[in-house]
Amino acid sequence: MGRFLLRRLLTAIPTLLLIATLAFLILHLAPGGPFDSGHVLLPQIQHAIEARYHLDEPLWRQYLRYLADLAHGDLGPSYVYRGTSVNDIIARGLPVDLAVGGTAMLAALLAGSAIGLWAALNRGSWRDRVPMTLAVLGISLPTFVTAPLLVLVFALQLHWLPAGDWVAGSWRHLLLPALALALPYTAFVARLVRASALDTLASPWIRAARARGLGTWRVLLHHALRPTMLPVVSFLGPALAGVLTGSIVVEHVFGLPGIGRYFVGAALNRDYTLVMGLTLLYGTLVVLFNLLVDLCYAWLDPRVRVAA
Amino acid sequence: MRGRARAGHVLAVAALCSIAACSGGGPPGNATAARVGTRPAAVQELTRGIDAGGVRSLDPSLATDIPAFRVLDDLFEGLTRLDVSGEPAPGVAERWEQSADGLTWTFHLRAAQWSNGEPVRASEFVQAWRRTLDPRTASDISQILAPLANAQAIAEGRADPATLGAEALDERTLRVRLDRPTPYLLALLGMSFMAPQYQPAIAQWGERWTEPAHLVCNGAFTLSESVLGGRITLLRNPRYWNAASVHLTRVTYIPADRSVQTDRYFAGEMQFTDSFSAEQVRWLRERLGSQVVTGPYLGNFVIGLNVERPPFAGNLALRRALTLAVDRNELVRYVRQGLYEPAWTPVPPIKGYPTPVPDWARLPDEERHALARRYYAEAGYSPQHPLRVAFHYPTDSDNRRTYEAVAAMWRQNLGAEVGTYNEEFRVQLGERHLHQLPMFHYAWIGDFPDPYTFLQLFRTGFGYNDGGYSNPRYDALLDAASATADPGLRYRMLADAERILDEDVASIPLYYYSSRHLIKPWVRGWQPNLQDRNLSQYMLLLEHEGR
Repeated sequence: MGRFLLRRLLTAIPTLLLIATLAFLILHLAPGGPFDSGHVLLPQIQHAIEARYHLDEPLWRQYLRYLADLAHGDLGPSYVYRGTSVNDIIARGLPVDLAVGGTAMLAALLAGSAIGLWAALNRGSWRDRVPMTLAVLGISLPTFVTAPLLVLVFALQLHWLPAGDWVAGSWRHLLLPALALALPYTAFVARLVRASALDTLASPWIRAARARGLGTWRVLLHHALRPTMLPVVSFLGPALAGVLTGSIVVEHVFGLPGIGRYFVGAALNRDYTLVMGLTLLYGTLVVLFNLLVDLCYAWLDPRVRVAA
Repeated sequence: MRGRARAGHVLAVAALCSIAACSGGGPPGNATAARVGTRPAAVQELTRGIDAGGVRSLDPSLATDIPAFRVLDDLFEGLTRLDVSGEPAPGVAERWEQSADGLTWTFHLRAAQWSNGEPVRASEFVQAWRRTLDPRTASDISQILAPLANAQAIAEGRADPATLGAEALDERTLRVRLDRPTPYLLALLGMSFMAPQYQPAIAQWGERWTEPAHLVCNGAFTLSESVLGGRITLLRNPRYWNAASVHLTRVTYIPADRSVQTDRYFAGEMQFTDSFSAEQVRWLRERLGSQVVTGPYLGNFVIGLNVERPPFAGNLALRRALTLAVDRNELVRYVRQGLYEPAWTPVPPIKGYPTPVPDWARLPDEERHALARRYYAEAGYSPQHPLRVAFHYPTDSDNRRTYEAVAAMWRQNLGAEVGTYNEEFRVQLGERHLHQLPMFHYAWIGDFPDPYTFLQLFRTGFGYNDGGYSNPRYDALLDAASATADPGLRYRMLADAERILDEDVASIPLYYYSSRHLIKPWVRGWQPNLQDRNLSQYMLLLEHEGR
């Protein structure tokens, strides 16, 4: 197990290096630079600013400089948020996304699994069709529709919850964004669990368990649940990386100070270091969660353990 | 089975319809039903919206974004400050005098204090300005300080910051020398980047000196909380020299998109929005009436023409035909919902400046169109041989609507085929600066209320003269205007210069911007003004019922 983990973590390094290199090249190929703006700026002053950030150096030297800083854990200064480092931006924004994304995914996992299992156990009845129709709706309705609708109902009509803003530790400010983010994932998980549970429930070992006279709940929890969760776990890996690095729409609608907004804004502003930092963060999370998924697989499915 | 399935679908559709019904109903009407008293409210806490981009930096030397300027107006005060109507008024300086040639100004400072109780010294202004201009600070606003003697040479790294034309004669007297008469100096000195900076905090904390725990300021409020990309909370500064007349105890700035600000306004969580969506103006006016506030704003929306390249190089008749064929009143009324003012000249209306509105602007539409067609034919174009040209603009839905409408006017009134292409802002900016585009969008927000900030864009060789316009007569008038200390004469010279821009059709102005806000009826102490700067220190909340 230890060797497996070590091997996987070591292979992550060239992967991340490749991501960093590609991102660096693509960014610098894009026309315009971080200090091209609509302001009146004399060329001499613009050159002085670029020199201050080493942007006047050859690209290979900038690249090596970036890697050297990266090796020390320094993601560099933001070119747009002057006086703020990329490390700082991520450190301040990530907790917001972790809170909202973590709550949303936990809710989606619990509610989606329960709904999916319930639907599978009642296959063909209205208890199956109603939740599955709602799940299709949940998947089809984009967050930019559901989030404003939630604001409209719960903030503007009922005045139960705030329409936006973020106050650390306040569940009232957490609830609506987490709900908006959780809805499509709940729907996805419910459909995945239902389909997987139907396969599992039809398998020979479940039939054998039933033939031995075990009750429905015992069969479900002790024999069917683990294999049923396999596709959900595969789905959750990359989904978690996406959700925990912030949702642009949810942050936008609720005015959350997370890092999701920077994914687009930093690219448009040519804030090279911020884009690089976010790309590497996202890449690292994808690698880590995929590793976690593989470990979960081994725990959930004895066959994977045997193969390993 | 089929019946059960249908029941499931019916339930789902019913749920969706109920949500849709909520959205069709609009927000509750209680936002308009508030009763406002005449006495100050017991709680003086205001929440204001700022642009969704949020504050990028609170360092007065580095901040360039409008949200930061809004907050810095409350945190710092320069030699002057804006009064409630947007005019410069005494700030840290209680009085001043200028030399006969307008090149030397002496400012006498009042006994003002920093938020930590230290006195504000004249030398701290000098140090702050030197810091902004020092190339090591890498400030991209240093160009605006150019009127100060030697400022430009310092910013370019050709002179030592110590040679700046600003000198502290004693703790409370500051002498400022200028390279040229600058009638807008008092307005300039009221901008946040001209405020003093507390040097010990900068020396001790470096880039982190703007964090709430470290920031020492001299404005009406102090910084209590600053979340990057999120809320910024200010508290009344008891050491501000005029603290006795500041009513608000707490001001919270929240960055949010226009539509989100509107939502939060209706929810009662925001009392002063930074803007609202132009498309919603009619709907908002129906529900909110006088809470919808608009006013002129120091910015223009213009089509640039590249006069160095075909088809516009040496073809005045074509340029004239295009500008005459644009129906600006219709554009403003139908495409921009009547929020903006039609523009026939690049400089927005500025107090005291005699805007040289061209005669053709007063022609009836049909007569103007006929004249446009005559110029179009004179330029060598006809229905059989129409003008075909590409027009580039930065991606934005407002831009798209405007330019599709203008292209349609040219097609209808002239038969010209103008293809509109949207591009990412920085891509368009790069192509513009390289003079590669025949026609392009540009919009300019003035740095200070003076025509020069708009007219400099057409000066020969100026970095942002993206159309390559050049006229020695025009340049000479700008030079002469810059040299005179007589403000009236200067305005007349600038107006003459602007008239030349119209004669040469150096660009096609479309409209002037306006500011727009939603303001609760119990918020007092603000006025629409050209720079759209409303300092929280003047605001007061009245007793009220409702959200």
